[in-house]
Amino acid sequence: MREKWSGSNEAGSNGAIGVTINTHALQLPLSDEAVRRLAVGDQVRITGNITISIGLPTHKRMLADLEAGQELPLDLRGGAFFHLSSYLEDAADGGLPRALYMNPSTSTRYNAYMPGLIRRLGLRMVGGKGGLDATSVASMKETGCVYLSFLGGGCPLLSEAIQSVVSSHWNEYISQFRLVTLRVRDLAATVAIDARGNSLYENLHQRAADRLPQIREELKRQRELAQPSPQPSK
Amino acid sequence: MIPQSLIRSVTATLYERSLKKIPDDTRAALQQAQGSERDETGRRTISIMLDSAAVAAQRDQLVCTDVGIPVYSVKIGTRVQFEGAVRQAIVDGFADLVRNIQPPILKMITHPLTHERSFTGKDMPIVTFDVIDDADYVEIICAPKAMGSGRWEELKTFVFPSLETIEDYVLEVVMRAGSQPCPPIVVGVGIGGSFDYAARLAKQQVLRPVGERNAEPILAAMEERLLKAINAMGFGPMGTGGDSTAMAVHIDYAASHGFIPVAVALNCWINRRMGARISNAGEVEWFE
Repeated sequence: MREKWSGSNEAGSNGAIGVTINTHALQLPLSDEAVRRLAVGDQVRITGNITISIGLPTHKRMLADLEAGQELPLDLRGGAFFHLSSYLEDAADGGLPRALYMNPSTSTRYNAYMPGLIRRLGLRMVGGKGGLDATSVASMKETGCVYLSFLGGGCPLLSEAIQSVVSSHWNEYISQFRLVTLRVRDLAATVAIDARGNSLYENLHQRAADRLPQIREELKRQRELAQPSPQPSK
Repeated sequence: MIPQSLIRSVTATLYERSLKKIPDDTRAALQQAQGSERDETGRRTISIMLDSAAVAAQRDQLVCTDVGIPVYSVKIGTRVQFEGAVRQAIVDGFADLVRNIQPPILKMITHPLTHERSFTGKDMPIVTFDVIDDADYVEIICAPKAMGSGRWEELKTFVFPSLETIEDYVLEVVMRAGSQPCPPIVVGVGIGGSFDYAARLAKQQVLRPVGERNAEPILAAMEERLLKAINAMGFGPMGTGGDSTAMAVHIDYAASHGFIPVAVALNCWINRRMGARISNAGEVEWFE
């Protein structure tokens, strides 16, 4: 008998089977119009300046400073801010450090700070891996911002995009918590939340939840097949 | 006689190798997933994963920047003799690694109360010890644990749970992790024993060769149907959709009381683990 784990003839994921994936080469900073053209599932290659940090204290401080009406040490308005961690090798002459590599981190742990940062800075691009919650998605729709999914474990490939370190602030923090601006070329990612309020993560979570009753039903059937006669209690 | 210096150098090497090379069985499982994946973005993502792993191995680079915390599982043959301290050798080996590895690694060891980060900490590296009766070797496996998958692992204690209750719980944990633990993942499940033992069993299941069929038919059937169930959820590679959410589900149990803990451990797609067997004569045999 055929196994029925989920609805038949269904696309494997977001319905993208057989659909050509759009690829965009993007030069930063992006205009509102350019951001709003991007759709969930699109592949992008970005060139320009990006700012990165995976520090919770960093996020907290950024938002607190903005709420207090203070300027951040760099102008992030309309910019790209990603949850990427990087090792900075300090220069012997006290000049700008060198970024040896970079790789994404889980974004959901910054859920509490991202809506405020997105709104106050008018960020055009955020990203990392694993997505952001519904409140962040709403703020992204409002201001015109997309979320990019970078490959976790993609360190060797993502690092090839690093051109140079533009600036490094809050250097009292450990390397990956600093507020670092990098010049990148052809940094590859997937648009996972777009500026129209579509979130791959929300869609996939909802779809998995919808499929769960049928999955549990099939598990039950498989259990019965594996053990046709129930064991008597001893 | 196994000298302290050998344990020290082997444990350092194990950590470095686990960061720079994904196991061969994991690469094969990813290649297989690429063949069966129906989602175009999913297929492309797996292809980039394989590229990333290949480039890391070629150029001696880290696959992921989150190098995790050092976790070692040590099994000591009862016929082995040591010259010097074992636990200290592992502590020193990790310190050597931090000092020497290229490229240098980021600070991940975190004080749980102050959140201060460094390269050392209380009880670091995490080491569990077991014995192997009558063996004349030591087996060491290094499986660094990072946040991507580590934060989603769970344990819950049930009372006389049915198979359905246990399987529902595994699905619940995987569902909560969803797109976030860098799928396709390896799921390790430990059932029974005691609170601490169930967690250990789950961790040991993650270390099993990917896709190795369980010798016990009841567990083999459970592994097979849970793998299909998880892959029907649709989270896919990197959680952006597809059929490949898990590479393997490995389960084991220990006899228990009527209270039955169920632990679920997860490993991300790079599935870091490296092992070595050191004979009493000081010969080292590496394995994955």
